[in-house]
Order: sequence, then structure tokens, then C-alpha cells
Amino acid sequence: MKRFLGWSSALCLAAVTLSAQETNQLQRLELRLQQMQDSFELQQRAMREDFERRVREQQAQIDALKQQLETATNAPTPVAQPPTAAAPATPEQVNQLNDKVNQVVEAQKKVLESEFNPSIGFVGESVFSYRSQGPDQTGSDRPGGFDVYQRSMELDVAGSVDPFARGYVVANASADAATGEATLGIEEAALETDSLPGNLTLKAGRFFGEFGRLGYIHEHELPFVNRPLVLDQYLGGETRTDGAQVNWLVPVPHYVSLTLGLGNGFGGDSPLNDPGAYRALSGLNYFGRLSTFFNLTPDWNVETGISGLINPDTQDRGGVDGLTGPGGVPMTEKERRVAGLDVKLNWVPLQNNQFRSFTWGNEVLYSDSRYQFDPDGTLNPANPSPGFSGDEYMQGIGAVGLYSYATYKWHRQWSGGFVFDWVQSASDNHDQTFACSPYLTWAISHWNQLRLQYTHTDHNAASGLPPDDAIYLQWAWIIGSHAHGWQQR
Amino acid sequence: MTSTLLRIVTVMAALTALFGSAPAHAAKIRIVITLTDLADFAREVGGDHVDVFCLATGIEDTHGVPMKPSFVPRMNRADLLVLVGLECEHSFLPALIEASKNSRIEYGHPGYVDCSAGVSPVEVPLSTGHSQGDVHPYGNPHYMLDPLRARIAVTNICNALVASFPQYQADFTRNRDVYLARLNAKIVEWEAAAKPLKGVKFVSYHLHWPYFAERFGLDYFGTIELKPGIDPTPHHIAELIADMKAQRVPIVIREPQFPEKVPKLIAQQTGASLVKLPIMPGGVPRTETYIKEMDYIIHTLVAAVPAK
Ligand SMILES: [Zn+2]
Repeated sequence: MKRFLGWSSALCLAAVTLSAQETNQLQRLELRLQQMQDSFELQQRAMREDFERRVREQQAQIDALKQQLETATNAPTPVAQPPTAAAPATPEQVNQLNDKVNQVVEAQKKVLESEFNPSIGFVGESVFSYRSQGPDQTGSDRPGGFDVYQRSMELDVAGSVDPFARGYVVANASADAATGEATLGIEEAALETDSLPGNLTLKAGRFFGEFGRLGYIHEHELPFVNRPLVLDQYLGGETRTDGAQVNWLVPVPHYVSLTLGLGNGFGGDSPLNDPGAYRALSGLNYFGRLSTFFNLTPDWNVETGISGLINPDTQDRGGVDGLTGPGGVPMTEKERRVAGLDVKLNWVPLQNNQFRSFTWGNEVLYSDSRYQFDPDGTLNPANPSPGFSGDEYMQGIGAVGLYSYATYKWHRQWSGGFVFDWVQSASDNHDQTFACSPYLTWAISHWNQLRLQYTHTDHNAASGLPPDDAIYLQWAWIIGSHAHGWQQR
Repeated sequence: MTSTLLRIVTVMAALTALFGSAPAHAAKIRIVITLTDLADFAREVGGDHVDVFCLATGIEDTHGVPMKPSFVPRMNRADLLVLVGLECEHSFLPALIEASKNSRIEYGHPGYVDCSAGVSPVEVPLSTGHSQGDVHPYGNPHYMLDPLRARIAVTNICNALVASFPQYQADFTRNRDVYLARLNAKIVEWEAAAKPLKGVKFVSYHLHWPYFAERFGLDYFGTIELKPGIDPTPHHIAELIADMKAQRVPIVIREPQFPEKVPKLIAQQTGASLVKLPIMPGGVPRTETYIKEMDYIIHTLVAAVPAK
């Protein structure tokens, strides 16, 4: 699924390399490092002194200008005069003053934007939990009972590539349930350019493709602890893809945004198509979203969109006989189709939205994938001579899933809400379940947040899974740079 | 498939041609401005040549204007984007610029008008670590509350307009001079009116007032916020109340976008007067322009100074 890199192997490599060094070489390196540190500190001190001196000079200049200003405008009574007739002597003096201000302006133009180029940030996220059921009953890869899961160790790097494009990387390590090893994967690594004509932005590489509303939000930024069941099941969690997407801001006075993309696979946890020997265009995933926004009042607004995902030929994704459909019949996915509708109602009071807000977010997904059914299982590769027996047939399965959540914020640090999940299995629409989760979020600061959530997942009549009750305590924190991109807003 | 694609491309091309963004020969110069004080200046300097759209209405927090997608088409067609700078708008502007796909107003282009150019900042932090809260790495961004520094913003807006639309240079510079003359006269008036404020201690909710205090000689005693962007702890409130009592701090400023509860409590416990002051034009009624706003601030503060 991903290419993994153990932290430990990197450390070992470093240790081996070090031991191979000659002792005197080490000493030389140490000396060189010391010299570099010294000169860096010197430079820093000089820069600070220079900066402080310039501030003092500018303050003196401003004070001098202020003096001039007072002498220039004190003489006449300016209050009742129309502005054009400020005073007989002043326009010239004011112009001189303006020129001087302009000079100060020019002298001070200082650009520091590159200071954080590339900008670097790190996110840590731990989930402490108790679940009443084990992984055999929940399908999760985490154990039942008490668990501490280091879910995100995320490194974010972003910067300009050249005048025409910017690039960003999100590398994330999650603790493995079995080994505890933090295995590093690249969640996103993409290049983005808006140097195209006609309001177009092109993104290419590995990224979270635009489908719906919460599919492309990183886990630690979700409004609740876990990604909604319907996104996990129909899309494979986050909408990760290796591909390209074009976003078009439709050039009309009303906000309308259209995104179209294609990629190899879609969904971080969903299996890729069998690459085979040769792939036609139908072997790729195509996705997109059309969205718009309405101000209902200055404080209330609604954002809505429709999305689609199609993979015309899944090339037996998940393997031949990788699934079982209604009645336990072995089947193979042949075509993947998902449609979505998202609606989000927001109350963002202009005046005090840092202290009060309300969000009601909803997504409904319809999965309409087509499968090849094989009742007698003769296609199963485990058979001595796998092949068609004549009982095989094609059929589509329509399944619906949704989530709806409401979050109310009543304090700068406190918000709470409730999310309801309901989903039919994409491969068997009789197999359905729902979940209810109240949650309470304490944002100690912008970069440090705790969340307590209870989740009750209902029993599942079709699959026989028992109900599950879970309590989560999520702690997420950020150091360094953390930008709020448009898509993640 | 090909014909569908062709049709989509044709529709896109038609729409682009219909609503496309040709800047210079449009009827009016389209300016998008983040905050209302700069919008006032741009209207004064630009006169009839400009069409000003302001993201804020005046009652917002300077750091918390909601990122509305409805701003995006406006920004997409803007000739100029005028901002306070010093990262004042860092929580909402970068993403809006990204979404608006308008290279004219991107950072480093002539349409990106950072009004802080030439403003000498105060409180430039030695460290930008978040242990100090949501600090602004280039210094405190609330320089517009100092009318002398605000003059620099007027000049910056004028320079940007002249640079992009030299055909109206005479009008812009004349408007600038007229407005600066008015502002200069008001500055003299404000300095005279603010004499009773000299040495007066005050606290405010957010660190909005260092430039204002410096200009009019007030003594900035502290903030209710623990650090910029971080609400006070009970310990911080208790300490502030004790210090204010000991030092006889007579004024508590509440900016309208912060809740009244804690400032009111502090004022009650210390006997200080609680005043509600706007941080940009439109923040409270009858402050629609920069001059009216400063009038309001100074007169309200002077009225709150206890008689000796
Ligand atoms: Zn601030």
C-alpha cells in the first residue's frame, strides 16, 4: 500500500556510518561545527544590533517629522476649513513631509517572506481509548479494551518550487498495531501551479483528491475523532490518490468551483487496481466536485457540492473472488462508481466568531459499483483449474451511507457536538449499521487540543457483528508552521 | 468522450471571455481591501476612479475576518489587494489569495499592496515560538491606531494606485494631499484633546494599543489575554486585578469582538471604568470613517479619565 521506512533503520545506518569515522576526523568536524556556531551567533548579534539601530533611527525620523507636522499645521485653525484650503503655507510643507515619509518608506522595504521557506511543521496526535469489542468484531486494526494509539506523527513541509509553482509534502508515521513501529508513509507530496490561464489550478503528485467535504481533511483536523464510516467504507478513508487534478474557478460573480481529476487508485486504505500488463484509460480513477456557496445573512451561510468517482474498469480490484456479496456469494469488483452530495450550514458571527459558532455538516454517498458474481466459486484462483463455469453474472449493487454532525462553539476554548453515521455495505446493502458519537473539544490554544468522544456502534444484523461502545481521548498538537489552505478551511 | 470534452472547453472559453478579467480599461479600478480603515483611505485617495470592496464590515476582529467563498470572485477580478500587513491577516488572507487565482494580487506583484511598508514596528519578537502565543514575527500589526503611522498607509495606497494607473496620477496625488492635510489637522487636534491621557494607565483585552499608547503618551499596563490569541487563566485575571489595584489603573478597554464578562468583572473589582472602543471604522456605531473612529476613541477615553 505504501512504502514504509523504519525510523530505527535510519538510526542504525547513522550509527554504522559514525563508527567508521576516524577519531581525528571527528575532532576536525567538531572544531568546524564550533566555528560555524560561533560565526552564526556573531552574525545573529550583528543583525539584531543593526535592526535595533534602524528602529531607533526610524523612530527619531518619525519624531522629527511629527515635529515638522505640528509646526506646519499649528498656525491656522484647520477644523472648520474645507480640506482643500488647509493653510496658505502648508501644501508645500506637507508635500515635503510626504516626500520624506516616502523616503522612509523606500528605505524600509524589507522582505522577510523567505524566512520560512520552506515552512516546516509537525503534528503529533495520540488517541487513548477503550473499546468493548476486539478487532475481530469491529474490523479495526486496533485491539479492544484499553489502547494508546500514536495515530499521527506528521511532518509538513511546503515552499515555492519556482515562480510558477509551489510544492508541499505531508509525511505521516502511524504506530503499527502489532509491532508498535512508527512506519513512515507519504500522505501527500504534490506540486501546485496557478500559472495557467483561465482561472485554472493544476495539482499533480500524491494528494487528497477533492470529493465531498471531509474526505480530504487530515485525521487530526476532523471535527471529531474518527473519519465517518461511509467515507471509510466507500472511499477508503482519506481521498488519497496519485494523479492530477484541475480546479476551475468559474469566472462568474457568484462563487462556483469545479474540480476534475484522475488518479491511480482513490482512497488511502482502498486497494489499488491490479496493475496487470497493460492498462487502458478505463483502468484509472476519475473524480470531481462541483461546489458553491451562499450567504444567507451576514452571519449564516451554506456551502454545498456534488461529487463523483468512477473507475470504469477496476481490473478485479482486491483480487478475483476477493469479496462476498448478498447471501455470501463470491464476487469480484468490475466497476467502481460513487456519487456524493455535501451540504454544510455555518453560523459564523462576524463579530465574535472566535467565541461562538455553529456548524451542521452532512454528506450522503451513493455507491453503485458493478460486480461479477460467481456462485459456484469456479473463478477462485485456489481452484486447480480456475475458470468460468457458466453461472457467472454481472450485477450492480446500490448502497447508501451518510453522516451528519453538528458542532456548537460557546467559548474560545470549548466546543461540542454530535455525529450520526449510517452506512450500508457497498458490497451488500442488507448489511448496514449506524453509530452515534457525542464529543467535547477543549482547544487549549490554536496548536494544542484535547477531545473526548463516546461512540456507540450498533449491532449489524447482516454480518452478525455485536454492538461496540468506545471512549476516545484524542490529543493533537502542532509545532512550527501550519498553514490553513483553501481546501482545508 | 472527446465531443463532451470539446463542449466543456468551449463553455469554459465562452465564460472566460464573457466575465474575463481585463484590468486596465475596465470602468473602475477594482480594489479589494481587508479592513475598513484602509478602505476609507482608498476611497479618499481613489475617488471616483475606484470601486472598493472591503472584506471586513468593521465589527470583526482584525485577525478573524471569516473566510467566505463569496469573497473569492471579487478577489479574482481585483486590480489591487490592499492589506495591513505584518501578518495581521495571516489567519484568512493567504488561503483567500490562493483560492482567488489572481496573479495580479499575489505576494510580490504590484497589485499586492502591503500598507505596513515603511511603518516602524514595535514589539518585534525575539522569538516567534508559540510559547508567546500567536505572535506576529514582524512586530505588532495594529499600527493603524497611530494616526501618524496611518499616514504611511495613505501614502502606500496612493503610490500603488499611481504605479498601476499612472493616467490618474494627478487625481490620486491631489486626493492624497487633500486627505493628508485633513488628517494632519485632525492629528494636531487629537494630540491637543488627548493631553489628559498622558501617563494614564490602561489595560485592554488584546494587544491592540501599543502604537496608540506611544503616540498619545498613555501607559499600557497589560492585557486581559494571557498572550495574543490566548484567553486568560483565572490566575492571570487574579494577578491582573491585584496589580491594577496596586497601581490604580483607571481604564479597561474592551474591543467589541471580545466578550464583556471578564473585562466587566475586572473593571468592577478594580473600580476602573470599562470602555468599549472600536479597532477599525464601523466597530461601534457612528465610527464609519477613520477620522470619526479616532475622534470616538479619543473622546471616549478622555471622558473615562477620572478627575484629579
Ligand atoms: Zn493582534
